[in-house]
Amino acid sequence: MRIVGHDEVEIQDENDAVSLCSMFAGDESFGIDTKKIREVLGKRDLQRVPMAPVYIGGVVPYRGEVLTTVNFRALLGKGELAEVNCVLVLEDEESGERFGLVVDAVGGVVTVSRKMLEANPCTLEARAKWLFDGAYKMQTGLMVQLDPQKLRPSRLAETGLFKERANGEQACER
Amino acid sequence: MDDLTKEFIAESQEGLDRMERCLTELETRPGDSDLVGEIFRAVHTIKGTTGFLGFDRLEKLAHAGEHLLGSLRDGKLAVTSGLISGLLHLLDGLRAILMLIEETGVEGQRIDDEDSALIAELAALNGAAALAVTDSASDVSGRAIQQAVASPAPVVMGPAAGLSDKTLRIDVEVLNRMMNLVGELVLTRNQMLQSGVEATNFPELARRLDSVTADLRETVMQARMQPVGNLFGKFPRMVRDLAQTCGRNVRIEFSGQETGLDKSLLEAIKDPLTHAVRNAVDHGIESPAVRVMAGKPAEGCVRLRAFHQSGSVVIEVADDGAGIGIERVLAKAVERGLVTAEQAAGMSEREALQLIFLPGFSTAAAVTTVSGRGVGMDVVRANVEKVGGSVEVESKVGVGTTLRLRVPLTLAIVPALVVRSGGQSFALPQSALVELVYVPKRDEEKAVERMGTAELYRLRERLLPVVWLDRLLGLETGGAEEAHGFYMAVLEAEGCRYGLVVDDLLAPEEIVVKPLSAVLREIGLFSGATVLGSGMLALILDVGATAARAGVKPVEEEVVEAVGEKIEESEISLLVFEDRVRERTALPLDVVERIESVPLEQIEYAGGRALLQYRGELLPLSDDGNVLAELEQERGEDISVTVLICGTKGAEGLQRRGMIVRRVLDVSGGTLIDKDAEEGEMELALVKEKLTMIHREFSVKAAPAWKEVA
Repeated sequence: MRIVGHDEVEIQDENDAVSLCSMFAGDESFGIDTKKIREVLGKRDLQRVPMAPVYIGGVVPYRGEVLTTVNFRALLGKGELAEVNCVLVLEDEESGERFGLVVDAVGGVVTVSRKMLEANPCTLEARAKWLFDGAYKMQTGLMVQLDPQKLRPSRLAETGLFKERANGEQACER
Repeated sequence: MDDLTKEFIAESQEGLDRMERCLTELETRPGDSDLVGEIFRAVHTIKGTTGFLGFDRLEKLAHAGEHLLGSLRDGKLAVTSGLISGLLHLLDGLRAILMLIEETGVEGQRIDDEDSALIAELAALNGAAALAVTDSASDVSGRAIQQAVASPAPVVMGPAAGLSDKTLRIDVEVLNRMMNLVGELVLTRNQMLQSGVEATNFPELARRLDSVTADLRETVMQARMQPVGNLFGKFPRMVRDLAQTCGRNVRIEFSGQETGLDKSLLEAIKDPLTHAVRNAVDHGIESPAVRVMAGKPAEGCVRLRAFHQSGSVVIEVADDGAGIGIERVLAKAVERGLVTAEQAAGMSEREALQLIFLPGFSTAAAVTTVSGRGVGMDVVRANVEKVGGSVEVESKVGVGTTLRLRVPLTLAIVPALVVRSGGQSFALPQSALVELVYVPKRDEEKAVERMGTAELYRLRERLLPVVWLDRLLGLETGGAEEAHGFYMAVLEAEGCRYGLVVDDLLAPEEIVVKPLSAVLREIGLFSGATVLGSGMLALILDVGATAARAGVKPVEEEVVEAVGEKIEESEISLLVFEDRVRERTALPLDVVERIESVPLEQIEYAGGRALLQYRGELLPLSDDGNVLAELEQERGEDISVTVLICGTKGAEGLQRRGMIVRRVLDVSGGTLIDKDAEEGEMELALVKEKLTMIHREFSVKAAPAWKEVA
């Protein structure tokens, strides 16, 4: 029975286990609690919105609604990849705000132990501190946890952290 | 709360609303026994049902009221203002108890015995049958009642809006029709699933799906439509009360109560409209003494008018009061620091009037310092604009003020033109679209002229500011533009007129408006998004905001008119077209609203006349050149007819009709040379050295009876 993966052995308690959906942006890997994900849409044609903040990836139709998406690459300050994208639908329970997150690719569901989570390091810059919610120490490397709450487009607009990289001068004017 | 009670409350509230209307009417027509009967029935129904449901307090009060109304019905009592006030107090009392029941499920304790004073008042009114009731006596008891009634009211206010606003009464007929259509939809779906895309009858099925969807949409819309009269109903009472407290003498008049408006929109404009009416009575209408001095009848008049106008519903609140003094508005705006003194000096009347909509223009002090309007007008405008409407104000000092709320028929579906710019699709609402201009590649250089940094286009000898959509939005300019020139959509919104340059025009579509998230709304240029037939999303451009962003200012209407007249003196602008073969015919350009290309199958016939359903209106079509008959014989797919949509202002407002033509030739100025004596409504003119017939007074033929059938 020792052959079972290392991860699984560490999970003794049901409450201790978290299932995360892993995703990729650039060469880093990220994870979001599966309970907070409504749906993974896969690759979609995003309709760009002119004059929108740069972290807005565009809009996609989703179940009779127009879903605003957040481009995670743009939030990280990485250039855009036009061809590859994967849209996840997230919903914030408190405000009921529904939005999409655009990442490069979605991996799969991983079950990890809460004990493997470590808080943000103090050397992290302000923007990353806002986006990241600690990291799981996986055997393959670190998986950064994301908090969908903080990725909400309206919250991102409120913080003002991501403004200066927004669409050149016009966006700053506003 | 059980269903029975809920139903009882909804029904009683309707009854009381009716009673309220009748009471205020009764005051103006005291002899009308039908009205008394109606009021009696409302109270009687409540009394009957409450006994059955076990609401003793309500029953007792209703009984007292019924007794009084009984005497009134039998002619033992005369209608006096004291009596009406007493009955209105009864109404308030009944309403307060109903609210309490709605909120708590019980009718409240009777410890403080609030009703006894009211019941006593009613009894006093009844007892004083022959004697004239002295106003002061009833006022004293009335005040006591008002206090009694007012005390539970604030507690109840919140949930009171709940039940009746969330429910909607629908004709069972309409519901049945909806169900039938849903059934039809399911059947069509089943057939489609069974036959598959390759099947020969697939196009037919798709067409049927299309028509069933259209019917279903229509029916659902119809079910959501409520007559505006429902909203007007509460105003007579409000105006009466307000007039009494302000010491005014005000009469309220309605027209167009049957105009239908989407239920949600009706809710949305309720507050702005209430505010507008209150303003009209409070600040618009002068006190009787002042009115008589000014040579006006002592009784002021507030007119509420609702009507349809080009795809939207207009609700007018007009008073014949003092009007808004421009100087005072300007002085106040300067005082509040909204504009500088120099700006104020350069302002036209129209611009100055718009100032009352500025937030900060009105404060509590405004009520006393300026007797004009403008209390919370910014809120009125904000609320109306929230639902895609607009507010206009017109005022003449000494003559009165008219406030016009313009709201779309429905929020959900609007006709729009889809355009492309910088590789993206955008939807322009048809309501803002005036005309389309195509500038071919070879004319591109000459077409747009420059004045400093501003770009202008000469549209029929008037300069039109040009806005490039791709540049405005910071999109990459596509290479497609170089290939074939560009299109310019002439748009008009909030008094601004400008040409919006786009790369390409796609189909006109009826789009379903979906709201955008807060972050995207904040950009301020888009009013929503929609999914196009191709499955792609398109953003809906807010035409007014785009104008503002591009710096286009509203044009002065007065100036426009002056220019128009000048042209008319020397020559008239004509739209030249061909209807009879080889004959050139023309219409004065100002009567032609649009040129539409209509698929042949959309033209319908009734009673031997060709008709076109156009934006919810039925247009009679004239076909002088027998174009329809000719095209009918060709029988090919996708034949479309060119229809000129003409509108003239007649005695009964704007009259529209369509004119079928072979093709449109030109727009140009012409000089009249001769009147054709044989055809009274035609004139001959020379247009660019060619003989052309000109239609005059063509609208007379469109018989008004047709409108009513539609």
